Amino acid sequence: MFDFQGYGPRLLEGAWLTAELAVLSLIAALVIGLMVASAKSSRSMTLKSVATVYTTLIRGVPDLVMMMLLFYGGQIGMNMATDGLNAWLGTDMFINVNAFAAGVVTLGVIYGAYMSETFRGAFLAVDAGQMEAARAYGMSPWLAFRRVRFPLMMRHALPGINNNWLVLLKSTALVSIIGLSDMVYVADQATKATHQPFLFMLPVGLGYLAITAVSELVVTGLKRRFDVGFSQAT
Amino acid sequence: MADSEIPLVVRDLHKSFKDVSVLNGLSLEAHEGDVITLIGASGSGKSTFLRCMNLLEVPDAGDIIVHGEPVAFKQHNKTREPASWKQVERIRSRLAMVFQGFNLWAHMSLIGNVIEAPIHVLGVPRRQARERGMALLERVGLADRADYFPAQLSGGQQQRGAIARALAVDPEVLLFDEPTSALDPELVGDVLAVMRELADEGRTMVVVTHEMDFARDVSSQVIYLHEGRIEEAGAPADVLKKPNSPRLQQFLAPRF
Ligand SMILES: Nc1ncnc2c1ncn2[C@@H]1O[C@H](COP(=O)(O)OP(=O)(O)OP(=O)(O)O)[C@@H](O)[C@H]1O
Ligand SMILES: [Mg+2]
Repeated sequence: MFDFQGYGPRLLEGAWLTAELAVLSLIAALVIGLMVASAKSSRSMTLKSVATVYTTLIRGVPDLVMMMLLFYGGQIGMNMATDGLNAWLGTDMFINVNAFAAGVVTLGVIYGAYMSETFRGAFLAVDAGQMEAARAYGMSPWLAFRRVRFPLMMRHALPGINNNWLVLLKSTALVSIIGLSDMVYVADQATKATHQPFLFMLPVGLGYLAITAVSELVVTGLKRRFDVGFSQAT
Repeated sequence: MADSEIPLVVRDLHKSFKDVSVLNGLSLEAHEGDVITLIGASGSGKSTFLRCMNLLEVPDAGDIIVHGEPVAFKQHNKTREPASWKQVERIRSRLAMVFQGFNLWAHMSLIGNVIEAPIHVLGVPRRQARERGMALLERVGLADRADYFPAQLSGGQQQRGAIARALAVDPEVLLFDEPTSALDPELVGDVLAVMRELADEGRTMVVVTHEMDFARDVSSQVIYLHEGRIEEAGAPADVLKKPNSPRLQQFLAPRF
Protein backbone atom coordinates (compact mmCIF):
# COMPACT_ATOMS: atom_id res chain seq x y z
CA MET A 1 0.00 0.00 0.00
CA PHE A 2 2.99 2.27 0.42
CA ASP A 3 4.24 1.94 -3.11
CA PHE A 4 2.18 4.96 -4.21
CA GLN A 5 1.23 3.28 -7.47
CA GLY A 6 4.85 3.00 -8.43
CA TYR A 7 5.65 6.66 -7.66
CA GLY A 8 7.22 5.87 -4.25
CA PRO A 9 10.89 5.97 -5.28
CA ARG A 10 10.43 9.14 -7.33
CA LEU A 11 8.60 10.83 -4.47
CA LEU A 12 11.46 9.96 -2.13
CA GLU A 13 13.97 11.30 -4.61
CA GLY A 14 11.89 14.45 -4.86
CA ALA A 15 11.82 14.79 -1.08
CA TRP A 16 15.58 14.39 -0.95
CA LEU A 17 16.03 17.00 -3.66
CA THR A 18 13.78 19.40 -1.76
CA ALA A 19 15.76 18.90 1.45
CA GLU A 20 19.11 19.24 -0.29
CA LEU A 21 18.07 22.31 -2.20
CA ALA A 22 16.63 23.93 0.92
CA VAL A 23 19.69 23.32 3.08
CA LEU A 24 22.23 24.42 0.46
CA SER A 25 20.15 27.51 -0.38
CA LEU A 26 19.96 28.30 3.33
CA ILE A 27 23.74 28.17 3.61
CA ALA A 28 24.10 30.40 0.54
CA ALA A 29 21.50 32.81 1.91
CA LEU A 30 23.25 33.00 5.31
CA VAL A 31 26.64 33.71 3.74
CA ILE A 32 25.22 36.32 1.35
CA GLY A 33 23.12 37.82 4.14
CA LEU A 34 26.14 38.22 6.44
CA MET A 35 28.23 39.75 3.68
CA VAL A 36 25.52 42.20 2.65
CA ALA A 37 24.78 43.15 6.25
CA SER A 38 28.50 43.83 6.76
CA ALA A 39 28.59 45.85 3.55
CA LYS A 40 25.67 47.94 4.77
CA SER A 41 27.40 48.74 8.04
CA SER A 42 30.75 49.42 6.37
CA ARG A 43 32.14 52.89 5.85
CA SER A 44 32.45 52.54 2.08
CA MET A 45 29.68 54.39 0.27
CA THR A 46 30.05 52.13 -2.78
CA LEU A 47 29.55 48.94 -0.76
CA LYS A 48 26.62 50.51 1.03
CA SER A 49 24.80 51.56 -2.13
CA VAL A 50 25.40 48.25 -3.92
CA ALA A 51 24.00 46.41 -0.89
CA THR A 52 20.97 48.71 -0.70
CA VAL A 53 20.17 48.38 -4.39
CA TYR A 54 20.42 44.59 -4.06
CA THR A 55 18.04 44.26 -1.12
CA THR A 56 15.55 46.77 -2.52
CA LEU A 57 15.48 45.02 -5.88
CA ILE A 58 15.10 41.52 -4.49
CA ARG A 59 12.45 42.38 -1.97
CA GLY A 60 10.41 44.31 -4.51
CA VAL A 61 10.20 41.57 -7.15
CA PRO A 62 8.25 38.29 -6.77
CA ASP A 63 10.45 35.26 -6.09
CA LEU A 64 9.10 33.47 -9.14
CA VAL A 65 9.98 36.33 -11.48
CA MET A 66 13.39 36.63 -9.87
CA MET A 67 14.01 32.94 -10.29
CA MET A 68 13.19 32.93 -14.00
CA LEU A 69 15.16 36.11 -14.52
CA LEU A 70 18.24 34.67 -12.84
CA PHE A 71 17.90 31.25 -14.45
CA TYR A 72 17.27 32.31 -18.04
CA GLY A 73 19.29 35.47 -17.65
CA GLY A 74 22.09 33.35 -16.26
CA GLN A 75 21.95 31.02 -19.25
CA ILE A 76 21.97 33.93 -21.69
CA GLY A 77 24.86 35.54 -19.84
CA MET A 78 26.73 32.27 -19.90
CA ASN A 79 26.06 31.89 -23.64
CA MET A 80 27.32 35.37 -24.36
CA ALA A 81 30.43 34.69 -22.34
CA THR A 82 31.14 31.40 -24.13
CA ASP A 83 30.30 32.93 -27.53
CA GLY A 84 32.79 35.68 -26.83
CA LEU A 85 35.41 33.17 -25.79
CA ASN A 86 34.66 30.96 -28.80
CA ALA A 87 35.05 33.85 -31.21
CA TRP A 88 38.29 34.77 -29.55
CA LEU A 89 39.78 31.30 -29.17
CA GLY A 90 38.19 29.73 -32.22
CA THR A 91 36.62 26.99 -30.08
CA ASP A 92 33.11 25.64 -29.84
CA MET A 93 32.16 25.64 -26.15
CA PHE A 94 28.70 25.56 -24.63
CA ILE A 95 28.01 25.57 -20.91
CA ASN A 96 24.60 24.44 -19.77
CA VAL A 97 23.43 26.14 -16.59
CA ASN A 98 22.83 23.29 -14.17
CA ALA A 99 19.25 23.58 -12.92
CA PHE A 100 20.07 22.47 -9.38
CA ALA A 101 22.96 24.89 -9.02
CA ALA A 102 20.79 27.64 -10.51
CA GLY A 103 18.11 26.83 -7.97
CA VAL A 104 20.56 27.07 -5.08
CA VAL A 105 22.04 30.31 -6.36
CA THR A 106 18.62 31.85 -7.02
CA LEU A 107 17.14 30.95 -3.66
CA GLY A 108 20.40 31.97 -2.00
CA VAL A 109 20.37 35.34 -3.72
CA ILE A 110 16.69 35.96 -2.91
CA TYR A 111 16.79 34.87 0.71
CA GLY A 112 20.22 36.42 1.20
CA ALA A 113 18.45 39.77 0.87
CA TYR A 114 15.97 38.91 3.61
CA MET A 115 18.71 37.42 5.80
CA SER A 116 20.78 40.58 5.43
CA GLU A 117 17.98 42.63 6.98
CA THR A 118 17.73 40.15 9.84
CA PHE A 119 21.48 40.30 10.41
CA ARG A 120 21.61 44.06 10.18
CA GLY A 121 19.01 44.43 12.90
CA ALA A 122 20.87 41.87 14.99
CA PHE A 123 24.20 43.70 14.56
CA LEU A 124 22.58 46.89 15.80
CA ALA A 125 21.10 45.10 18.80
CA VAL A 126 24.56 44.19 20.13
CA ASP A 127 25.90 46.68 22.67
CA ALA A 128 28.73 48.67 21.05
CA GLY A 129 30.88 48.28 24.16
CA GLN A 130 31.25 44.56 23.43
CA MET A 131 33.01 45.16 20.11
CA GLU A 132 34.94 48.07 21.57
CA ALA A 133 36.40 45.76 24.22
CA ALA A 134 37.28 43.24 21.51
CA ARG A 135 39.19 45.89 19.58
CA ALA A 136 40.79 47.29 22.72
CA TYR A 137 42.27 43.87 23.49
CA GLY A 138 43.92 43.65 20.09
CA MET A 139 41.50 41.39 18.26
CA SER A 140 41.67 41.56 14.47
CA PRO A 141 38.37 42.36 12.72
CA TRP A 142 37.87 38.69 11.82
CA LEU A 143 38.68 37.42 15.33
CA ALA A 144 36.37 40.02 16.87
CA PHE A 145 33.61 38.97 14.49
CA ARG A 146 34.07 35.29 15.21
CA ARG A 147 34.49 35.49 18.98
CA VAL A 148 32.30 38.45 19.91
CA ARG A 149 30.02 39.95 17.29
CA PHE A 150 28.73 36.72 15.75
CA PRO A 151 27.81 34.82 18.93
CA LEU A 152 26.19 37.92 20.47
CA MET A 153 24.33 38.79 17.30
CA MET A 154 22.95 35.29 16.72
CA ARG A 155 20.74 35.55 19.79
CA HIS A 156 18.90 38.40 18.10
CA ALA A 157 19.05 36.93 14.60
CA LEU A 158 17.75 33.42 15.28
CA PRO A 159 14.01 34.14 15.23
CA GLY A 160 14.35 36.04 11.94
CA ILE A 161 16.58 33.38 10.43
CA ASN A 162 14.04 30.75 11.42
CA ASN A 163 11.21 32.68 9.74
CA ASN A 164 13.20 33.19 6.56
CA TRP A 165 14.18 29.55 6.54
CA LEU A 166 10.56 28.37 6.75
CA VAL A 167 9.59 30.63 3.84
CA LEU A 168 12.65 29.52 1.89
CA LEU A 169 11.78 25.87 2.45
CA LYS A 170 8.35 26.37 0.92
CA SER A 171 9.78 28.41 -1.95
CA THR A 172 11.77 25.38 -3.07
CA ALA A 173 8.51 24.25 -4.70
CA LEU A 174 9.03 27.04 -7.24
CA VAL A 175 12.09 25.33 -8.71
CA SER A 176 9.96 22.94 -10.74
CA ILE A 177 9.49 25.88 -13.07
CA ILE A 178 13.15 25.65 -14.06
CA GLY A 179 12.91 21.92 -14.58
CA LEU A 180 13.77 20.35 -11.23
CA SER A 181 11.82 17.35 -9.97
CA ASP A 182 11.30 18.33 -6.36
CA MET A 183 8.67 16.49 -4.35
CA VAL A 184 5.84 18.85 -5.29
CA TYR A 185 6.61 18.41 -8.97
CA VAL A 186 6.63 14.62 -8.67
CA ALA A 187 3.39 14.60 -6.70
CA ASP A 188 1.79 16.90 -9.26
CA GLN A 189 2.81 14.58 -12.11
CA ALA A 190 1.52 11.58 -10.20
CA THR A 191 -1.78 13.29 -9.42
CA LYS A 192 -2.29 14.22 -13.05
CA ALA A 193 -1.70 10.63 -14.09
CA THR A 194 -3.78 8.91 -11.40
CA HIS A 195 -6.35 11.54 -10.32
CA GLN A 196 -5.63 10.76 -6.67
CA PRO A 197 -4.49 14.08 -5.19
CA PHE A 198 -4.76 12.99 -1.57
CA LEU A 199 -2.59 9.94 -2.08
CA PHE A 200 0.24 12.20 -3.22
CA MET A 201 -0.30 15.64 -1.75
CA LEU A 202 -0.82 14.47 1.81
CA PRO A 203 2.56 12.75 2.03
CA VAL A 204 4.16 15.80 0.45
CA GLY A 205 2.61 18.00 3.14
CA LEU A 206 3.87 15.57 5.75
CA GLY A 207 7.31 15.69 4.12
CA TYR A 208 7.49 19.46 4.61
CA LEU A 209 6.24 19.06 8.16
CA ALA A 210 8.98 16.52 8.86
CA ILE A 211 11.67 18.88 7.58
CA THR A 212 10.16 21.70 9.64
CA ALA A 213 10.07 19.52 12.76
CA VAL A 214 13.73 18.62 12.41
CA SER A 215 14.64 22.26 11.88
CA GLU A 216 12.67 23.28 15.00
CA LEU A 217 14.85 20.92 17.00
CA VAL A 218 17.98 22.44 15.54
CA VAL A 219 16.74 25.97 16.24
CA THR A 220 15.89 25.10 19.83
CA GLY A 221 19.41 23.75 20.29
CA LEU A 222 20.94 26.87 18.76
CA LYS A 223 18.77 29.13 20.92
CA ARG A 224 20.06 27.42 24.01
CA ARG A 225 23.61 27.72 22.70
CA PHE A 226 23.43 31.45 22.01
CA ASP A 227 21.46 32.27 25.15
CA VAL A 228 24.41 31.30 27.31
CA GLY A 229 25.20 34.23 29.59
CA PHE A 230 21.76 35.78 29.15
CA SER A 231 19.19 33.24 30.30
CA GLN A 232 21.13 32.71 33.54
CA ALA A 233 20.75 36.34 34.57
CA THR A 234 19.84 36.59 38.23
CA MET B 1 65.77 59.03 29.27
CA ALA B 2 65.48 57.35 25.90
CA ASP B 3 61.93 56.81 24.68
CA SER B 4 62.61 53.08 24.38
CA GLU B 5 62.70 52.71 28.15
CA ILE B 6 59.44 54.53 28.72
CA PRO B 7 56.27 52.40 28.53
CA LEU B 8 54.13 55.12 26.97
CA VAL B 9 54.94 58.48 25.45
CA VAL B 10 52.28 60.65 23.88
CA ARG B 11 53.28 63.84 22.10
CA ASP B 12 51.19 66.75 20.98
CA LEU B 13 47.93 64.93 20.21
CA HIS B 14 45.25 66.75 18.27
CA LYS B 15 41.80 65.44 17.55
CA SER B 16 38.63 66.95 16.10
CA PHE B 17 35.21 65.43 15.62
CA LYS B 18 33.77 66.98 12.46
CA ASP B 19 34.81 70.60 12.96
CA VAL B 20 34.88 70.57 16.73
CA SER B 21 38.39 70.46 18.08
CA VAL B 22 38.45 68.24 21.17
CA LEU B 23 42.16 67.65 21.84
CA ASN B 24 44.50 70.57 21.29
CA GLY B 25 48.06 69.37 21.72
CA LEU B 26 48.16 66.92 24.63
CA SER B 27 51.31 65.15 25.76
CA LEU B 28 52.24 62.82 28.57
CA GLU B 29 54.96 60.39 29.54
CA ALA B 30 54.09 57.36 31.61
CA HIS B 31 57.31 55.99 33.08
CA GLU B 32 57.57 52.57 34.65
CA GLY B 33 55.43 52.55 37.80
CA ASP B 34 53.79 55.92 37.16
CA VAL B 35 50.16 56.42 38.02
CA ILE B 36 48.90 59.36 36.02
CA THR B 37 45.41 60.59 36.77
CA LEU B 38 43.48 62.69 34.30
CA ILE B 39 40.90 65.01 35.81
CA GLY B 40 38.72 67.70 34.31
CA ALA B 41 35.16 68.75 33.70
CA SER B 42 32.77 66.71 31.60
CA GLY B 43 33.58 67.19 27.93
CA SER B 44 37.14 68.34 28.57
CA GLY B 45 38.47 65.45 26.46
CA LYS B 46 39.66 62.94 29.09
CA SER B 47 38.08 59.89 27.50
CA THR B 48 39.07 60.92 24.00
CA PHE B 49 42.67 61.42 25.15
CA LEU B 50 42.72 57.97 26.77
CA ARG B 51 41.06 56.33 23.77
CA CYS B 52 43.63 57.86 21.43
CA MET B 53 46.37 56.12 23.41
CA ASN B 54 45.26 52.69 22.20
CA LEU B 55 43.90 53.99 18.90
CA LEU B 56 40.21 53.47 19.66
CA GLU B 57 40.18 57.02 18.33
CA VAL B 58 42.74 57.95 15.72
CA PRO B 59 44.39 61.28 16.50
CA ASP B 60 44.60 63.84 13.67
CA ALA B 61 48.15 64.71 14.66
CA GLY B 62 50.72 63.74 17.25
CA ASP B 63 52.78 60.71 18.22
CA ILE B 64 52.11 57.65 20.32
CA ILE B 65 55.21 55.71 21.30
CA VAL B 66 54.97 52.43 23.20
CA HIS B 67 58.28 51.30 24.65
CA GLY B 68 60.14 53.10 21.91
CA GLU B 69 57.89 51.89 19.09
CA PRO B 70 56.05 54.77 17.42
CA VAL B 71 52.63 54.06 15.92
CA ALA B 72 52.94 54.59 12.17
CA PHE B 73 50.34 56.71 10.39
CA LYS B 74 49.43 57.41 6.79
CA GLN B 75 47.15 59.87 5.06
CA HIS B 76 44.11 58.36 3.39
CA ASN B 77 41.57 60.61 1.64
CA LYS B 78 42.65 63.55 3.79
CA THR B 79 42.13 61.63 7.04
CA ARG B 80 44.91 60.12 9.06
CA GLU B 81 44.91 56.39 9.56
CA PRO B 82 47.27 53.92 11.17
CA ALA B 83 49.63 52.64 8.48
CA SER B 84 49.31 49.10 9.78
CA TRP B 85 46.32 47.77 11.69
CA LYS B 86 48.46 44.75 12.58
CA GLN B 87 50.76 47.07 14.49
CA VAL B 88 47.77 48.71 16.16
CA GLU B 89 46.43 45.31 17.25
CA ARG B 90 49.81 44.40 18.69
CA ILE B 91 50.07 47.68 20.55
CA ARG B 92 46.50 47.45 21.84
CA SER B 93 47.25 44.06 23.33
CA ARG B 94 50.00 45.74 25.37
CA LEU B 95 47.83 48.59 26.66
CA ALA B 96 44.90 47.03 28.47
CA MET B 97 41.80 49.15 28.94
CA VAL B 98 39.24 49.10 31.72
CA PHE B 99 35.97 50.75 30.73
CA GLN B 100 33.45 52.76 32.67
CA GLY B 101 30.73 50.29 31.63
CA PHE B 102 32.94 47.20 32.29
CA ASN B 103 32.23 45.77 28.80
CA LEU B 104 32.85 42.20 29.89
CA TRP B 105 31.82 39.89 27.05
CA ALA B 106 28.32 38.87 28.04
CA HIS B 107 28.34 35.43 26.44
CA MET B 108 31.51 34.30 28.19
CA SER B 109 31.98 33.23 31.80
CA LEU B 110 34.18 35.38 33.97
CA ILE B 111 37.17 33.09 33.52
CA GLY B 112 36.33 32.91 29.81
CA ASN B 113 36.60 36.70 29.66
CA VAL B 114 39.94 36.64 31.43
CA ILE B 115 41.56 34.00 29.20
CA GLU B 116 40.07 35.21 25.91
CA ALA B 117 42.75 37.67 24.81
CA PRO B 118 45.69 35.64 26.16
CA ILE B 119 44.57 32.59 24.17
CA HIS B 120 43.23 34.12 20.97
CA VAL B 121 45.32 37.28 20.66
CA LEU B 122 48.59 36.37 22.38
CA GLY B 123 48.59 32.64 21.65
CA VAL B 124 49.09 31.48 25.25
CA PRO B 125 48.26 27.75 25.69
CA ARG B 126 44.81 27.25 27.24
CA ARG B 127 46.00 25.43 30.37
CA GLN B 128 48.54 28.08 31.17
CA ALA B 129 46.08 30.90 30.48
CA ARG B 130 43.54 29.26 32.78
CA GLU B 131 45.96 28.81 35.64
CA ARG B 132 47.11 32.38 35.35
CA GLY B 133 43.50 33.58 34.97
CA MET B 134 42.38 31.76 38.11
CA ALA B 135 45.25 33.30 40.04
CA LEU B 136 44.18 36.75 38.82
CA LEU B 137 40.56 36.15 39.80
CA GLU B 138 41.85 35.10 43.21
CA ARG B 139 43.71 38.42 43.42
CA VAL B 140 40.62 40.49 42.74
CA GLY B 141 38.59 38.34 45.14
CA LEU B 142 36.48 36.52 42.55
CA ALA B 143 37.91 32.99 42.47
CA ASP B 144 34.54 31.57 43.55
CA ARG B 145 32.79 33.43 40.71
CA ALA B 146 34.97 32.12 37.86
CA ASP B 147 32.13 30.29 36.12
CA TYR B 148 29.52 33.01 36.57
CA PHE B 149 28.42 35.10 33.63
CA PRO B 150 28.67 38.90 33.74
CA ALA B 151 24.89 39.25 34.06
CA GLN B 152 25.06 37.25 37.29
CA LEU B 153 27.60 39.59 38.91
CA SER B 154 27.26 42.94 40.65
CA GLY B 155 28.77 46.01 39.01
CA GLY B 156 31.69 45.99 41.43
CA GLN B 157 32.37 42.32 40.73
CA GLN B 158 32.16 42.92 37.00
CA GLN B 159 34.64 45.77 37.22
CA ARG B 160 37.07 43.75 39.32
CA GLY B 161 36.68 40.97 36.76
CA ALA B 162 37.41 43.49 34.00
CA ILE B 163 40.59 44.44 35.87
CA ALA B 164 41.58 40.76 35.98
CA ARG B 165 40.93 40.59 32.23
CA ALA B 166 43.22 43.59 31.77
CA LEU B 167 45.99 42.10 33.91
CA ALA B 168 45.79 38.81 32.02
CA VAL B 169 47.49 40.28 28.95
CA ASP B 170 50.42 41.44 31.08
CA PRO B 171 50.07 45.00 29.82
CA GLU B 172 52.81 47.62 29.74
CA VAL B 173 50.25 50.20 30.77
CA LEU B 174 46.75 49.91 32.22
CA LEU B 175 44.27 52.47 30.94
CA PHE B 176 41.23 53.18 33.12
CA ASP B 177 38.30 55.33 31.97
CA GLU B 178 36.27 56.31 35.03
CA PRO B 179 36.27 52.75 36.36
CA THR B 180 34.04 53.53 39.33
CA SER B 181 31.59 56.05 37.85
CA ALA B 182 28.95 53.47 36.95
CA LEU B 183 29.03 51.82 40.37
CA ASP B 184 26.75 52.17 43.35
CA PRO B 185 28.64 54.07 46.05
CA GLU B 186 29.00 51.04 48.32
CA LEU B 187 30.75 49.09 45.53
CA VAL B 188 33.32 51.77 44.66
CA GLY B 189 35.62 50.94 47.56
CA ASP B 190 36.41 47.37 46.48
CA VAL B 191 37.39 48.47 42.99
CA LEU B 192 39.53 51.36 44.24
CA ALA B 193 41.23 48.99 46.70
CA VAL B 194 42.26 46.71 43.85
CA MET B 195 43.56 49.71 41.89
CA ARG B 196 45.56 50.92 44.87
CA GLU B 197 47.18 47.51 45.16
CA LEU B 198 48.13 47.62 41.49
CA ALA B 199 49.68 51.03 41.97
CA ASP B 200 51.57 49.83 45.03
CA GLU B 201 53.07 46.92 43.14
CA GLY B 202 54.44 49.30 40.55
CA ARG B 203 52.01 48.93 37.65
CA THR B 204 52.07 51.74 35.13
CA MET B 205 48.60 53.25 34.94
CA VAL B 206 46.74 56.10 33.29
CA VAL B 207 43.46 56.72 35.08
CA VAL B 208 40.59 59.03 34.20
CA THR B 209 38.73 59.58 37.44
CA HIS B 210 36.52 61.81 39.50
CA GLU B 211 37.77 60.17 42.71
CA MET B 212 39.90 62.97 44.17
CA ASP B 213 41.03 60.89 47.17
CA PHE B 214 42.41 58.27 44.80
CA ALA B 215 44.11 60.94 42.68
CA ARG B 216 45.67 62.53 45.77
CA ASP B 217 46.83 59.33 47.50
CA VAL B 218 47.88 57.14 44.62
CA SER B 219 49.00 59.14 41.62
CA SER B 220 52.50 60.20 40.79
CA GLN B 221 51.17 62.87 38.46
CA VAL B 222 47.84 64.63 38.08
CA ILE B 223 46.86 66.24 34.80
CA TYR B 224 43.98 68.69 34.73
CA LEU B 225 42.39 69.05 31.31
CA HIS B 226 40.34 71.98 30.17
CA GLU B 227 38.88 72.14 26.66
CA GLY B 228 41.39 69.65 25.33
CA ARG B 229 44.43 71.42 26.78
CA ILE B 230 46.57 70.64 29.79
CA GLU B 231 45.72 73.50 32.09
CA GLU B 232 47.82 72.27 34.98
CA ALA B 233 49.93 69.19 35.67
CA GLY B 234 52.27 67.98 38.38
CA ALA B 235 52.54 66.09 41.62
CA PRO B 236 49.21 65.69 43.41
CA ALA B 237 50.56 67.61 46.41
CA ASP B 238 50.97 70.66 44.17
CA VAL B 239 48.14 70.35 41.69
CA LEU B 240 45.44 69.30 44.14
CA LYS B 241 46.60 71.20 47.24
CA LYS B 242 47.91 74.41 45.74
CA PRO B 243 46.31 74.81 42.33
CA ASN B 244 47.43 77.87 40.38
CA SER B 245 44.75 78.01 37.76
CA PRO B 246 41.52 79.65 38.91
CA ARG B 247 39.58 77.10 36.82
CA LEU B 248 41.21 74.22 38.66
CA GLN B 249 40.61 75.96 41.98
CA GLN B 250 36.96 76.16 41.10
CA PHE B 251 36.90 72.56 39.82
CA LEU B 252 38.35 71.35 43.13
CA ALA B 253 36.20 73.58 45.35
CA PRO B 254 33.90 71.47 47.52
CA ARG B 255 30.59 71.01 45.80
CA PHE B 256 27.42 71.30 47.84
N1 LIG C 1 32.60 60.00 18.73
C1 LIG C 1 32.40 61.32 18.94
N2 LIG C 1 31.81 62.06 17.99
C2 LIG C 1 31.62 63.39 18.16
N3 LIG C 1 31.98 64.07 19.27
C3 LIG C 1 32.57 63.38 20.27
C4 LIG C 1 32.81 61.97 20.15
N4 LIG C 1 33.42 61.56 21.29
C5 LIG C 1 33.54 62.65 22.07
N5 LIG C 1 33.05 63.75 21.47
C6 LIG C 1 33.04 65.11 22.01
O1 LIG C 1 34.34 65.40 22.43
C7 LIG C 1 34.32 66.15 23.64
C8 LIG C 1 35.17 65.47 24.67
O2 LIG C 1 34.56 64.24 25.01
P1 LIG C 1 35.16 63.24 26.06
O3 LIG C 1 34.26 62.06 26.09
O4 LIG C 1 36.59 63.00 25.76
O5 LIG C 1 35.05 64.05 27.41
P2 LIG C 1 35.31 63.61 28.89
O6 LIG C 1 36.28 64.56 29.46
O7 LIG C 1 35.66 62.17 28.94
O8 LIG C 1 33.90 63.84 29.58
P3 LIG C 1 33.13 62.99 30.70
O9 LIG C 1 33.69 63.40 32.03
O10 LIG C 1 31.71 63.42 30.54
O11 LIG C 1 33.33 61.54 30.38
C9 LIG C 1 32.86 66.29 24.04
O12 LIG C 1 32.43 67.56 23.64
C10 LIG C 1 32.18 65.22 23.24
O13 LIG C 1 30.88 65.62 22.90
MG1 LIG D 1 34.70 60.39 29.64
